[in-house]
Amino acid sequence: MSMPEFVQFHDVSAGSSGGTHPIEAWMQQLSEDGNPFTFTPQILHLHKDHELFEDGDIQRHLYLRDLYISETEEKTTLSVSEFACHIFGCHARFNLLQEYEHHYNSLHRNMCSSCRRCFPSARLLDIHIQEWHDSLFAVLAQKQDMYLCLVEGCELKFRTAKQRKDHLIRIHKYPPDFRFDKPKKERGNKDRRGQEQKVIEPIDDVCQSEGVCEDICNPMSDQPEKEESMEVCEKEAAHMEDMPTPVQDSEVNTPTSKPQSSYRIPKSVCFGHGSSRGFRGQRGRRK
Amino acid sequence: MWRPNIIHRRSRWHQNNMDELRLRRRENERALRQDRRDRQLLSKRLLLYEEETEATMETASREQDVVSLLCKLQRRGSAKEIHLKALSKVLRDPAAQLSFIKQENSVHVLVGLLTGFDAQCRLLAVRCLHELSYSPDTNVASACMPSTPYLLTYLSGQTTKFTEMCLYTLGNLCLASKAVKEKLLAQGIIPALASCMENQRHNLAVVEAVAFTLSQLLQTRDSVQEIVSIVMASSLPSHLLSFLTPDSEFGLGAAIECAWCLHYLVSSSEDHRNLLARGALLHCSSQLVTLSVAVTQRKQQDKTELLVCPLLRCVGNLLYFCPVQDLSKHVAIIQLVGALCVLLNTYQHSSPSLARETAWVLNNLTAHSTKCCSAVLTLNLVSSLIQLLPVSQGINTMVLRIFANIAHKSKELCIWLTQLGLLAALCSTLKMADQEMVTLSLDVLYMMQLSSPQVKHQVLREGGASLQEVIQCNSERAIRQKASLLMDKLLT
Repeated sequence: MSMPEFVQFHDVSAGSSGGTHPIEAWMQQLSEDGNPFTFTPQILHLHKDHELFEDGDIQRHLYLRDLYISETEEKTTLSVSEFACHIFGCHARFNLLQEYEHHYNSLHRNMCSSCRRCFPSARLLDIHIQEWHDSLFAVLAQKQDMYLCLVEGCELKFRTAKQRKDHLIRIHKYPPDFRFDKPKKERGNKDRRGQEQKVIEPIDDVCQSEGVCEDICNPMSDQPEKEESMEVCEKEAAHMEDMPTPVQDSEVNTPTSKPQSSYRIPKSVCFGHGSSRGFRGQRGRRK
Repeated sequence: MWRPNIIHRRSRWHQNNMDELRLRRRENERALRQDRRDRQLLSKRLLLYEEETEATMETASREQDVVSLLCKLQRRGSAKEIHLKALSKVLRDPAAQLSFIKQENSVHVLVGLLTGFDAQCRLLAVRCLHELSYSPDTNVASACMPSTPYLLTYLSGQTTKFTEMCLYTLGNLCLASKAVKEKLLAQGIIPALASCMENQRHNLAVVEAVAFTLSQLLQTRDSVQEIVSIVMASSLPSHLLSFLTPDSEFGLGAAIECAWCLHYLVSSSEDHRNLLARGALLHCSSQLVTLSVAVTQRKQQDKTELLVCPLLRCVGNLLYFCPVQDLSKHVAIIQLVGALCVLLNTYQHSSPSLARETAWVLNNLTAHSTKCCSAVLTLNLVSSLIQLLPVSQGINTMVLRIFANIAHKSKELCIWLTQLGLLAALCSTLKMADQEMVTLSLDVLYMMQLSSPQVKHQVLREGGASLQEVIQCNSERAIRQKASLLMDKLLT
């Protein structure tokens, strides 16, 4: 619709000269049939016993009983509307929008639809999808260097995941237990294959976060999918504890001298049950 | 400058008893909330003058005191003044009150002294009756009924202290029981109050007492329509309206009582045209405008909120009955819109419930009036309203309704709202836990995107991601569908 010309404001209820008056046309647009946006301005009449009047009535009667204290003396804290994460199964709530957005971006964005893991960036997600779920990748990796360095800007590629890991540790000073560079596990694959076939309707399941979110992995629902992801989660943890024969890559001997650091993941760390504190530390580094 | 004859009333709480006061207040607050739920929220008032607040002496047996004092009072020629004074102190004790009314002819003796030739004895006798009227025990209060015809007669007297005492006694007695109230009505309490207010209109302490007594009558549930119609037929509404403007701090008490009477009248009356014709909306709204200036210079112990509250309610409910084409006759629109926003900002931290009531009035004002909606924009009030969108306890839902009211009026106002940055705020409100906020946000966005192609494009650009999250993630199906429909509209 084209912009109407300048219109003199007049009260809505006043009669108009013709049916093509811009205000009337606007009204008609708003009330077209089948429109579910049913908001209409309303004058709300409140009876004297309405709950909206409760506090004011109490103050009045405290005053009559000589117990009134002016509010200037009593500092009340402001009550804010909470922001809720609406992802199914995630019951996190936040007072500040920034906190909510950080939560959402960290834990629900960049989610792999196959295995429902979440990654802190689109790039890591792409790498993950390629390395874990792309069969062509597996084929190509046998012949050429396919494992891309995780550090943005460093375009080096490696023949194996382990070589890349060594590179990350040696050159980029990454920790040996960097959470976003977990090697693909054969054992876990069987479980995940079943999951890959599942149709994911508007994020109807909680994603499996890489190392964070106590909220998500708390067993709150009785959904079967949830239990499975929990299972994977636990299995992974168990598996991690079994290291230090860490990876099942073909390479056992590293070309460079093995760094002092080991690949052992501390038993206390459970992927998917970790706390967000550790995550934030890593996150800052990545940036 | 004329000043009224002020009787110095002493608050029962000293400044250095603030902790105790706070404790008592908390305890009382719980009880009051329950009373309100039970529809039994009623309060009496005890008038205490400075000279009467000396500590009473502890005596062994109150009952013996009562009996002995009563005997002394019945004897001829005794120093009745002294005994009455002592009796009034004794009667502060609830047990003594019960004991007193059980004695034969006790109230009759008091009534005799009330109507006797000794003026000081009259005053002391009414003091005793006032203590009895304050009793929570219905029997005690009902026992005072023989005195009421005289109390009503004395309302036409001229002594401030005496008249005040009579009025507060009557006000307390109104709450005693249905039978007591009906008797008072039959004895002509309302015309007596009307003429007292008329005759004593220069005496703000008496005006406050009259209005208090009237408020007690208007609050009770039984025969409220009968009472309201008698009040509306009298000169009381006009007088009540004339006292809304407090003459510095002395008049604040009177203004508060008058405003609460008006609130009860507006709530219960069926004849709103009468109220509007008498200028109720005009007076209440202009007083709010005056107060909005005063509240920004708030001092300690400020009781202005007690006046703002009933005025807001009167305006809010009267707007329901005022045809929108007559609005400018009753309301200085620009000033009132500005005043309400000032009140909103002032009270959002200190008194959220009052902020909520203010937002409610602003909703009622902007619901059907394009002038009011335009005023919000021309007075640069949008940004301060946007800042209230995170505030819960019913404030943000009301503020969002106000924005919806504005958007509903015309395309131009939608475009204007967009230019003032409402879109960014709506992207946040879409993420809130409160589903009413999410629904209202969708409604406003729908209206905004209809207003022009540019705004539509802007809504898609700024709000598309947030909208997508609602479509995918909101737990309520109806909301997901609405968001989805909106997205479809944005993409076509």
